[in-house]
Amino acid sequence: MRSDEEVLAELRGWVLGKARDLDETALTGRTPLFEERHLRSVHLPELLLLLERLTGAPIDVEDLRPGDFRDLDTIMARFHARERA
Amino acid sequence: MSPQTHTARLRDAIASMTETTERLSRLSQRSYQNPYTAVEWPDAVDPEGQWFGSPELLSLYGTPSWDGLDEPARRRLAFFEAVNFYSLNIHGEKSLMEGLASRLYRKDLLEVSDYLHHFLDEENKHSIYFGGFCTRYHHVYRSRQLPFAETRPRDVEDLLFFVKTMVFEEIVDVYNREQARDGRLEPIARFINHNHHVEESRHLVFGRRLVAALWEACAPGWDAATREDVREHLSQFLVASWREYYNPDVYADAGLADPWEVAEAAWAAPAQREHRRRVSAKVLTFLTGIGLLDKEPVDAF
Repeated sequence: MRSDEEVLAELRGWVLGKARDLDETALTGRTPLFEERHLRSVHLPELLLLLERLTGAPIDVEDLRPGDFRDLDTIMARFHARERA
Repeated sequence: MSPQTHTARLRDAIASMTETTERLSRLSQRSYQNPYTAVEWPDAVDPEGQWFGSPELLSLYGTPSWDGLDEPARRRLAFFEAVNFYSLNIHGEKSLMEGLASRLYRKDLLEVSDYLHHFLDEENKHSIYFGGFCTRYHHVYRSRQLPFAETRPRDVEDLLFFVKTMVFEEIVDVYNREQARDGRLEPIARFINHNHHVEESRHLVFGRRLVAALWEACAPGWDAATREDVREHLSQFLVASWREYYNPDVYADAGLADPWEVAEAAWAAPAQREHRRRVSAKVLTFLTGIGLLDKEPVDAF
């Protein structure tokens, strides 16, 4: 299983690749990704695939809420911590 | 552009569709189908002994994973990819039917409402065929599309709805056309692809006309940020749509180890990037031709 640092690094890289208006130094764990429109709902299928690949487990979309993707800290806690538990 | 001018341009654009939608409606009435009697379903299928998808269209074709599969394993992969192709059509058509139903008899779309009824009816029937195959012989694969609402002005939402529909259907139609002609495929697979292609040819005519009309009517009244938002949204939609063809759930069912890594490697494989570019070429040429896109959506390739 990937470490927290590896997962976070891949997530950050993906977000920065999609949110081209977002500077690397401006992206923190609490940056609101969707609320500030750095990402849109149309990014979610690709983000889900990435999270599944990084955690090695399928994600049931019927259990998801918009708040689950609020920022990197929330995503890490919601998806990566679940797989480590 | 004033709101009055904008409304008048939109009204004229919809009115310009009348002749097309009347012709398409007559064609739809003439080919009206009963999906419960139009097809005889085989009692069983043999995924390792029969082809259900053209090998050259499969998501692993031309990749090292493909080279590692023997003939029965390739057929087995083709079967699960066929189920995935039908599943992603079902999920796409669910969203499409919701969008069409919500636009029926809307005042500014009244002139195309008769055709929207046919469109809605035909999409429902397509899903009956796709669902019939998936539920008889396997199951409907899950979607990773999430219906989280976003708010945009109505004319922007309208354009995005119809252009996304068109992009989805144009890509699917390439698969339908090529697989309908492929004599290696089982008759049931050729029927589903052929039938969908024939029906969708009307929807594609409607989609191209309407998207061009909406873009020409609305875009001049939007600021640069709105036009850029539409372009970015559409480019990412193309990525998301194509990603669904590389489904780890399919690879797991086909018996491949590390299905997420297989999906990622296949997505990045040169042969597959070229495949996506070839299949997308027609619709992207159309969208750049009308000015809706101003560059190739590079993330999709």
